[in-house]
Amino acid sequence: MEEKRQTVQHEKTEEGWEPTIVAFLCNWCSYAGADLAGVSRFQYQPNVRILRVPCSGRINPLYIVKALQNGVDGVLVSGCHPGDCHYISGNLMARRKFALLKRYLGYLGIEPERVQFSWVSAAEGARFAELINKVVTDVKNLGPAKQLVKKAL
Amino acid sequence: MEKTEQIIRETAKELFNSGRVEILIGYEKGTLPFRTRPVFIRNAAEADRLVWNSWCSNNLAVYLPGLFEQKKHKKNEAPPLPPKVGIVAKSCDVRSVINLVREHQIPRQNVVIVGVPCSGMLDAAKIKALLDNEVVTEVAEDGNTVSITGRSRSSGTKVKRDDVVFNACLECCSPMPEGVDLLVQGTARNASQNKYDRVKEFESMAPGERWNYFLSEISRCIRCNACRQVCPNCYCKECFADQTNPRWVDAGDDISDIMLYHIGRIFHQAGRCVECDACTRACPMGIDIRTFTQKLACDVKDLYNFVPGFSPEEPLPLCTYKPDDKQDFITEP
Amino acid sequence: MEQGILAKTDMKKFIELLIKDHRKVFAPVSRKGRVLFTEVSSADEVKLDYRNTDLSPKGLFLPQCEAICTFTGDAFQEVPLTKDKQVVFGMRPCDAAALSHLDRVFTEGSQKDPCWLARRENTVIISIACSDPLDSCFCTSVDGSPVAKKGSDIMVYTIDDTLLFEAFTEKGKALLTLASSFLKKPKESALEARQKYESAAVKKVPALNLADIKEKLRGCFDLTLWSSIAERCLGCGVCTYLCPTCHCFDITDQTDGERGRRIRSWDSCQYSLFTLHASGHNPRPSKKERMRQRILHKFLYAQDNFKETFCVGCGRCIRSCPVNLDIKETIAVLAAGTGKGA
Repeated sequence: MEEKRQTVQHEKTEEGWEPTIVAFLCNWCSYAGADLAGVSRFQYQPNVRILRVPCSGRINPLYIVKALQNGVDGVLVSGCHPGDCHYISGNLMARRKFALLKRYLGYLGIEPERVQFSWVSAAEGARFAELINKVVTDVKNLGPAKQLVKKAL
Repeated sequence: MEKTEQIIRETAKELFNSGRVEILIGYEKGTLPFRTRPVFIRNAAEADRLVWNSWCSNNLAVYLPGLFEQKKHKKNEAPPLPPKVGIVAKSCDVRSVINLVREHQIPRQNVVIVGVPCSGMLDAAKIKALLDNEVVTEVAEDGNTVSITGRSRSSGTKVKRDDVVFNACLECCSPMPEGVDLLVQGTARNASQNKYDRVKEFESMAPGERWNYFLSEISRCIRCNACRQVCPNCYCKECFADQTNPRWVDAGDDISDIMLYHIGRIFHQAGRCVECDACTRACPMGIDIRTFTQKLACDVKDLYNFVPGFSPEEPLPLCTYKPDDKQDFITEP
Repeated sequence: MEQGILAKTDMKKFIELLIKDHRKVFAPVSRKGRVLFTEVSSADEVKLDYRNTDLSPKGLFLPQCEAICTFTGDAFQEVPLTKDKQVVFGMRPCDAAALSHLDRVFTEGSQKDPCWLARRENTVIISIACSDPLDSCFCTSVDGSPVAKKGSDIMVYTIDDTLLFEAFTEKGKALLTLASSFLKKPKESALEARQKYESAAVKKVPALNLADIKEKLRGCFDLTLWSSIAERCLGCGVCTYLCPTCHCFDITDQTDGERGRRIRSWDSCQYSLFTLHASGHNPRPSKKERMRQRILHKFLYAQDNFKETFCVGCGRCIRSCPVNLDIKETIAVLAAGTGKGA
């Protein structure tokens, strides 16, 4: 049995440490919004790695916790605005999961700013850029993630 | 208590004689002092094995999914009929049964719930701690007083019953079982009004302190999976923790994997955990799992006004949504 | 030095000497109401008035998880074996006997386990004879006793206010010699008191009648007893994890890009995955087969393979089983040959 895992390699220098953020974006709204930001040449921090999913409802909370285990410094999950989900209710189902997960991780003592959720529509290119900038700044202020990170081999 | 025990035995005999059950799950005397253990009886003659006392702390609902598993049968034959099962259940166990019905794991019409009002079960660990290392030879109850005697004549103490009852029982907000088929006569303790005090107390700690507590508790875990096996809600044929593709959780004692296992398992209980305390009681290392399961139950009640185990029809909170669900956790850039 | 006397109040001195002279000292430590063998750096941490630990000390020799090798790309690197001089202080005779059972598994035959051997060879076992067995103890039923010497390098007998140390092996004698500056030579009366202590202790653990159990077990494969025990079992594996003679393990690889390590970690025959084949077939499909396997392995197959019973009667499985399954009860029923449901 094998576990394939790629831990995030950090540049752990005092100054110049850059966080790594993983963003799960729903295909129909948030990913399109990110695309629009790119096409419109809106500048945003390059620290984000985007993973496209069909719907925010597809996100298993374990993906978020596993990402933290693999060493990412922050996780962003973004979907369609409630009422606009391409699959009608995927984001509405997800909203409950995310609400509980966010509270739960905070309860354990994990910094709340590390895991963030948002709704970004396909037309909101500028807003997407602002969102990324906000999340990266928040995580940068927290420093490298240490709590759930698995020891490097 | 003795009267309740007698009624349980009579009820069991009646259920067998009327053909209403084929198997009855209850408690019998254990082989160690201050223990009972689950018993499966199959006829009225065995009913006198059943006991009822302050040591009936197991949640017997855990056996139900297994009893109703579809058995293999020959292609041309009809599938065997599901058994008719009776279960002696405290209020927390009843809620587990109702939740299993809600999740389509057991057919309600094949289960006869014999509900027993509960005054709270005694915690052997608390009792032993009172006598330090002395061997406890007797625990006698007299109303609200419990007299504990140690092996040497000079050791012994009298305490209020609530001082040696499980924390979970102190916080129980529905000690009188609801939704049962038969309610046995007995005394239930007063329902607690302050159910989530422990959660609020924990939340008032600084985040670093909370993390350190979580770390110090979870680092004692030996990955035996007892918490999962005693939980009536953990009936998955393949647990996420055992999956190899994807490999969520590695084998071994890496603290990060241990945390992931517990976070994952407890989060899978969101909206389903009835807080029966079976996981905390089963843990051989005495980990305070309860502080970490209660938070989800508290949030589900707070956000979605839902408490599992009371309605076999109401949709589970994570299987439904409302247009006006709270979303104050959403980041607005 | 083979024997020595120490006042009970001076026990701390002995432990301090152990800490000074050895890289690691493991002793019973109380944590949140549980007593476990933990590395100690001062005698104050040691809890000596305990009956037995919750987790057995087998984890000190067969760790719950250990890397057996690492690899980078195609190249394997061996994990260096321990050379740390260690002492385990405060073991019970049952746990010490269990270690010598496990020696048969890990050191006999053509394949010797180097990780196990390295730890065993570098560790001195100091046992403390039992005077206060629990209800669940049954060492005398499985060729053991509260004062049995098997597996210990040194035994300590607590007789009133004195401690009598006795070494049985070269390792033990060398360690006692180290402490010879404050250990006194025991008088004849001390040795007589020890005899009395031993007979009294053995009487406290009445033995079950397990005559002919081997033959009874040979014929027990199809008894209905197994179904009725398994009915209660939750398959949690606590019994195997706490047991000092259970030794099943799993080998898994953890990789991270090019690098990886192969680890050995505890496994349990009580898990449904244990004998699950890749095809989906499972020769032990239900708890009944798995429970039967555990009992037969300990009381029959180990006898056939090693002429030893792989159960030392410590009673941990009975105490910690969430549903109070009782191995003592099971083997008593099997030995009596009744075989109906327990």
